[in-house]
Amino acid sequence: MNRPPLSSDYVEMRFGPRWTYISSVRRFVASFFMIGLADKERAEQISMAASELLENAVKYASEEEGYLKISIAKAANEVDVCVKNEAEEHHINTLRREFALIHAGEPEQVYLKKMEAAAMTEGQSRLGLIRIIYEAGARLRLDINESEVSIHAIFPLEQS
Amino acid sequence: MTNEPLAQLKVEGLTVTPRLGENALRVTVIGAVEMRDPGEVLTPYWTGLDEEARRRGIRRIELDVKDLNYMNSSGILTLVRWITRAKAHQAADAYQLVVYYDGNVTWQRTSIPTLAKLAPGVVVPTEING
Repeated sequence: MNRPPLSSDYVEMRFGPRWTYISSVRRFVASFFMIGLADKERAEQISMAASELLENAVKYASEEEGYLKISIAKAANEVDVCVKNEAEEHHINTLRREFALIHAGEPEQVYLKKMEAAAMTEGQSRLGLIRIIYEAGARLRLDINESEVSIHAIFPLEQS
Repeated sequence: MTNEPLAQLKVEGLTVTPRLGENALRVTVIGAVEMRDPGEVLTPYWTGLDEEARRRGIRRIELDVKDLNYMNSSGILTLVRWITRAKAHQAADAYQLVVYYDGNVTWQRTSIPTLAKLAPGVVVPTEING
């Protein structure tokens, strides 16, 4: 089977859902894109998004022995960070609701409201996705294929 | 009232050092917050600082995060809880939370001013570059 040629700015990693790997991946992604983009701010935004998506995937991956995959591809005018994992149906439904919620208003207002709501409740922060939109300036896309969940954080790049 | 030094926190790549000055409590945070549930250690720690500051009548806490190279969203939530708590204090035992951050560190430049919007009269974001 012929695969399309990969750009030189493409990274793909596949590993078990272990929390301790996340910080290593974040630092690697930051270094890689610091070189590839020559833009420290964008590289740190991309690595933050990768880290938040991986944290979500590890928290909600369906099997301890399963794998999650992160791929980051740079095209002419955008960088696509994609984290893919298997998830239980109730987690997928939660994710769908979360996506609807974070896209239901202006990002700063949604972020502040979610912070205020999170401060009043126990448990998970659920601030990671809206943080990627508001603080990193990415747009998010959710793809679901049966029990396989892919979340893309897409960063526009300035045309040089 | 006791004047014992406040305890330092050291956990998983993170060191938080509080130091009592003449008019302020200075809290330096170094490392990274990227543990799975930072709320387990940070929320009680911030609450302890909040209570101690009020007990000692401190009106200004200076939180220095310049050398905190990363904080995940669960860590951000611990600061949200602290700010929410500080915002609720009566004027008699209220304090100002001045947060020093490095504008060259992307997460700090975006997260800290956003957190300040939760309590504009209480949190003062102060950018110090380099």
